[in-house]
Amino acid sequence: MPDDGFHFTGMSYDNTAALGASTWRHVAFIERPAPLSYQDAGQFSWLFSSDVCKHCARAGCLEACPTGAILRTEFGSVYVQPDVCNGCGYCVVCCPFGVIDRREEDGRAWKCTLCYDRQRADLIPACAKSCPTESIQFGEIEELRAKARKRVEQLHQAGVHEAYLYGESAEQQPGTEGLSAFFLLLDKPEVYNLPPDPVAPTKKGKDAWASMGLAMAGMALAALGSVWFNRRGGRE
Amino acid sequence: MKPVDWMRTDGRDISPQLGLLEGEGALQETGPQEEHVEKISEDSKKILAPDDADPTYYDRPLLKEPVWEWHVPAYYFVGGAAGAALVMGAAAQFDGSPGLKTFVRRCHAAGILGSMISGGLLIYDLGRPARFHHMLRVFRPTSPMNVGVWILSAVAPSAIMASLFHGRRGLLGAFGEISGIASGLAGLGLATYTGVLVSNTAVPVWQESRRVLPILFGASAMASAGSLFDFLVEDRQARRITYTFGTIGRVAELASSIVMERQAGRVEERVARPLQRGVSGTLWKTATALTAGSLLLSVLPGKSRKKRIATGILGLAGSLCLRFGTHYAGVASARDARASFRLQRAEHTSPARAAPPLPENRA
Repeated sequence: MPDDGFHFTGMSYDNTAALGASTWRHVAFIERPAPLSYQDAGQFSWLFSSDVCKHCARAGCLEACPTGAILRTEFGSVYVQPDVCNGCGYCVVCCPFGVIDRREEDGRAWKCTLCYDRQRADLIPACAKSCPTESIQFGEIEELRAKARKRVEQLHQAGVHEAYLYGESAEQQPGTEGLSAFFLLLDKPEVYNLPPDPVAPTKKGKDAWASMGLAMAGMALAALGSVWFNRRGGRE
Repeated sequence: MKPVDWMRTDGRDISPQLGLLEGEGALQETGPQEEHVEKISEDSKKILAPDDADPTYYDRPLLKEPVWEWHVPAYYFVGGAAGAALVMGAAAQFDGSPGLKTFVRRCHAAGILGSMISGGLLIYDLGRPARFHHMLRVFRPTSPMNVGVWILSAVAPSAIMASLFHGRRGLLGAFGEISGIASGLAGLGLATYTGVLVSNTAVPVWQESRRVLPILFGASAMASAGSLFDFLVEDRQARRITYTFGTIGRVAELASSIVMERQAGRVEERVARPLQRGVSGTLWKTATALTAGSLLLSVLPGKSRKKRIATGILGLAGSLCLRFGTHYAGVASARDARASFRLQRAEHTSPARAAPPLPENRA
């Protein structure tokens, strides 16, 4: 990863502000004058969530890529091949999570690779490796799901009633047909800048193709009609 | 390894060698400042009580805004006009009257020139222009951009063949006729696919307009081709053809832009806001006014050349404003996280989604 310049927002510890072409790991930090359910006193709480590219099962960026630069790897993650990407920018508008972006100086699209290089060398992604509290975990997705469900139960018993899993299953998030990264949250997804119900654009794109067919038929008819209506000796 | 010059450290005392990067990503330079850091709304600087009905993350954008610059909406306009001109040319071929020969030839010329400019605009907008041909190494029906590049690359050769062989005798002439019809079919695609390109995205205002955007762009292409030929045509029959075609286009453009405003605001009114306010709203309204003006002028009595030219200028300007208005509406919409959030909540495509219970002790 290139140095992103160490720019600070000055409003929280979250100095990366969002995922992007040069920041592939982002920690949402929310400070607000409201208590969590287990809090007896005080009107103040903090929320944290580490954010990363979700590597969707139906990935908007992958489906939009006109060059085939974006592909699904042998690990099931979504990867942009830098030697193929021509920087058209279509993936940028097709990601429902606002993750992938084009680097101004470089011209190509970049995003979190889920450490494709490390995984190929049998290492776990750097974010999971370096997280000192093991808040970021990496492993077999089914094992992680079971672990996460247990953790939510534990939290509910401990009185943290608002704990739930975001993007844990395809049923929960049909628009993306499931994610490779899911999150334990304590408030609505929007609070962490996560979309409540993201959809891969191609799922809705069928409507657009259908009306393109209609538009083409209409235009052809209009053209033929204009010629026929104004044929020589027709009207005059 | 070079020795560390400790006098030049930044105070964090991190050895730059520890962060030595290799590989392709390492060749990138640090940008002046990531734009998303600068784009902080005023609200985000205050610590606000959570808004349980309409929450956001410090009002930061959810989506990345389009990286496309003016070339892309300009391409919608030029490509649309070129495509619709070829459609007119192909239809006029069926008439067969000798007076229309020049008209058909001019349609082909407009198609060739327009598709060349379109290609240039598209390549210029790429982050890596030298790699434009990477789009042609695959055919991907899931990607409207890929489909569009194939359409565009069918337009230019067929129009060139048509212009070379149209009106000739024998086998060559037949080839010219077929090429002309092929260029018209490709032109139909070129004039309308950009509507799919734009609406097959996560940008709320575009996505919500998906049922009408291809029709709107097609109608706008008809209007601009009709307007363009208001200048270029002297033959009376050809003039009447372009007039009819352009008028249908202008009426359809106005009607479908009204439909688009409704469609965009159908589920959640915030989604349609970029069509009403800001730079994009101004462009959008200007487009409506110009096209309406062009339509009005064209139906008024009088056949002077001056009037035709004024009609054409208004029509072209209206179509151009429409494309830029649509583009910048998308930019504004991508910046507005609430538009996405509210739309997704309102649509409820996923009732199974676990909604967190609110704590009882929250006021």
